[in-house]
Amino acid sequence: MPAAARADEVFTALSDPTRRAVLELIGGRGEATASQLARELPVSRQAVRKHLSSLAAAGLVTDRREGREVRYRITPAPMSEAMTWMATVGGGWDARLAALRRHLSRA
Amino acid sequence: MSEEASSELTVPASPEETWEALTDPEQLTEWLVEDAELDLRPGGDLAFRVDGEERGGFIEEVEAPRRLVFWWGPDGDEPTRVEIELEPDGDDTRVRVVESRPLRVLDARGVEVESWLSGGSSPHMRAPELSAIC
Repeated sequence: MPAAARADEVFTALSDPTRRAVLELIGGRGEATASQLARELPVSRQAVRKHLSSLAAAGLVTDRREGREVRYRITPAPMSEAMTWMATVGGGWDARLAALRRHLSRA
Repeated sequence: MSEEASSELTVPASPEETWEALTDPEQLTEWLVEDAELDLRPGGDLAFRVDGEERGGFIEEVEAPRRLVFWWGPDGDEPTRVEIELEPDGDDTRVRVVESRPLRVLDARGVEVESWLSGGSSPHMRAPELSAIC
């Protein structure tokens, strides 16, 4: 998925205060179940599940089944996308600094 | 891991001249952008047109002629942080640029989400909220 598309999805997922609170709680605990999250938030477990699905769709959390429980954790940023970004942006600045040097050589 | 892209180059000018090239809108159009507007103070807005694309953002730090930090990004997209440092090197100046995606670490760590987004969902944050993540 292109970086821009993913960023849009991430921001949409994060635009809701409850979802942000869900993420913060998961981040603080490392891992959490919908029931644990519902106990700490003023919303139903049903609602927490819905938010978790949106966060998962945006790639922000992943789930893992353990016995009868589904545990959620924050997804680390995908490496390949990160590396692509670094290469593209770094290359962009290489070109810009070369242009700056040309500009200052003329001045 | 920290996600940052960096680049550096020595340019044939003093830090003061280099600083001018980095911050004077007219000079910026000579090497960086097609169009530039910027309010050169912490929290000041910037609006660039780069490669035909509009980029908005704001200035985080201004320390002439040594250090300039700003945030920029295409409208509605994840903004990135650009840190430019100038260091005298004889008659020349060493320019070092580090562009990073501080917002991206939230994916990995899930921390401080509330504090940086508490002002709303806009990716174009304001300077006071930055201390939480930088």
